[in-house]
Amino acid sequence: MHGRGGQGAVTASRIIATAAYEEGTYSQAIPMYGTERRGAPLTAFVRLDDVRVRERELVHTPDISIVLDPLIAKQQAVVDNLKPGGLVILNTAHKPEEVELGGDFKVATIDATTIALETLGRPITNTAILGAFAKITGLLKLESIEKAILKYFPGRLGEMNIAAVRRSYEEASDPIQAVVTKAPAEKVDIHVGGYGVLKDVSSWRLLTPEIDVDTCIGCKNCWIFCPETAIEWDEDTMKPSIRYNACKGCGLCANECPVDAIEMVRVEA
Amino acid sequence: MSERITRAQIPLSEMTITPGSACQGCGAALAARLAFKALGPNVIRHGIPCCPDSVTKTPRTGTVFEGGGALLTGTSRGLKAIGRDDVKAVAFYGDGGTYDIGFQGLSAAAERNEDVLVLTKDNEAYMNTGNQRSSATPKYSMTSTTPVGPKSRGKPRHKKNVPFIFAAHYVPYVATASVGFPEDLIAKVTYAKDLKGFRMIIIQAPCPVGWRYDPAKTIEVARSGVQTGLWPLYEIEDGQNFKLNYKPKELKPVSEYLSPQRRFRHMTEDETAEIQEDTTTKWDTLTRADELGRLII
Ligand SMILES: Cc1ncc(C[n+]2csc(CCOP(=O)(O)OP(=O)(O)O)c2C)c(N)n1
Ligand code: SF4
Ligand code: SF4
Ligand code: SF4
Ligand SMILES: [Mg+2]
Repeated sequence: MHGRGGQGAVTASRIIATAAYEEGTYSQAIPMYGTERRGAPLTAFVRLDDVRVRERELVHTPDISIVLDPLIAKQQAVVDNLKPGGLVILNTAHKPEEVELGGDFKVATIDATTIALETLGRPITNTAILGAFAKITGLLKLESIEKAILKYFPGRLGEMNIAAVRRSYEEASDPIQAVVTKAPAEKVDIHVGGYGVLKDVSSWRLLTPEIDVDTCIGCKNCWIFCPETAIEWDEDTMKPSIRYNACKGCGLCANECPVDAIEMVRVEA
Repeated sequence: MSERITRAQIPLSEMTITPGSACQGCGAALAARLAFKALGPNVIRHGIPCCPDSVTKTPRTGTVFEGGGALLTGTSRGLKAIGRDDVKAVAFYGDGGTYDIGFQGLSAAAERNEDVLVLTKDNEAYMNTGNQRSSATPKYSMTSTTPVGPKSRGKPRHKKNVPFIFAAHYVPYVATASVGFPEDLIAKVTYAKDLKGFRMIIIQAPCPVGWRYDPAKTIEVARSGVQTGLWPLYEIEDGQNFKLNYKPKELKPVSEYLSPQRRFRHMTEDETAEIQEDTTTKWDTLTRADELGRLII
């Protein structure tokens, strides 16, 4: 299961494992251990079996790959180690036919971000993808997922998440064989986390800042407050510009702009 | 004491290499960016285990938590021995490394008045390992080791007053700063850089993950910490000369700082009133010390 820190991939993996346990299946959920920075890509794993799961290793060749994030869903890495004939469930607004990942696997898509925004008010897509998972794989009943969700999110939050799951169950459609047959030559490493300097953190962004230089009054707030030094200042024009490879989409610059010259927009994957 | 600067005087050149690996909206990454911008290239950066903040172009060395004060001492004395007083030994440590685990080594270096500059990014808990409380964690804050439940209201005790403790070593310079006030922060780092002896600046560095707020609000949270008097900006020289750098006519109510942060979400009206009273009392003492220009510790 691929997601980004803060989207709840680890919780989603636990919900699946708990729901399976409810149904009498042996299960295990393990997160990839590392520096789980909010916004940074991360992976969590689930094993389901009829016999006791004794293995403690990470899952290297999964049967199913679930992708919580629309930008990560564009990266070939999410299907690279899938078993032949496996299945990938992507969070994207696109139809399965439009997905440009190549290889011998089935593709299903669900617009979990929109579902999450409309039912939870926040782009936390972990539960919004589980309904689609239940319907497409047939591995779990909707009721067991709902039961598991209430264990992790009691009360109103649980009800909201259940609404997200139900909607995703309804909206999910059958997977199709991948249209693209060959993996693209150029691959992007999605495991950009850990310490040090990274090359490009564009995949961390859900919302992207756009500056309207005509509205900008040159106060330098966005420039001085960007933690990633992603905003460059031009002393001649007295205007900022964004270095997008370094921008994580935190929204700080837009929040500090006194004249609302920066807008955080959802750039579709 | 440092001299005020304007936004136009802040150097355009950057010392950080980005993108780095901190979370979105990380206050500590911004603290590193601003501080090293002010320090320029002639710096040897010292690190101990903590959250990844920003990678800087300066040489870097590191050690264990307990060795922070000793390693800085060695670098500074070594630089002196080879006649390179122009290069500064600078620490960029976390609150855990300053207030708790690295405390005794730093206290010893302060007492010997070693020629070092200690910058602490204070995010008020052990964030790198998952938000465990430190002695920098404020009262009532919910962390993974001070949870909220029937028998616990978050952290039971107040934040340790580390700037005052170091001032009581009678060192040349101790100051507080905040990422929400970049001109003040940069002025202080620039000033402290060229002083001789032990210098320390504790930088308020809000952490959206541990403090539990929207990453876009890092500056809002930092600013309201200062405007409510919970994070006063001041300088102490030689353990006695005192100056408050930010003096609003009236403080904002502490609730403006506490309520946007979900680490304080459980606080009752009485608990908030208690923090309000404590803050007002401390602020009165600080403004009086500022009028006198002196502090008795
Ligand atoms: C002696 C010792 N104890 C514990 C650790 C594990 N450890 C690594 S980073 C860290 C947290 C540091 O907290 P802080 O100094 O506040 O920095 P932050 O992570 O909050 O930036 C801890 C406890 C260690 N490396 N050494
Ligand atoms: S959203 Fe703005 S402040 Fe945040 S990283 Fe991008 S440019 Fe910097
Ligand atoms: S914060 Fe807004 S007005 Fe100020 S420089 Fe940036 S875009 Fe321009
Ligand atoms: S946990 Fe907090 S201090 Fe650490 S990198 Fe993330 S935002 Fe920064
Ligand atoms: Mg800390």
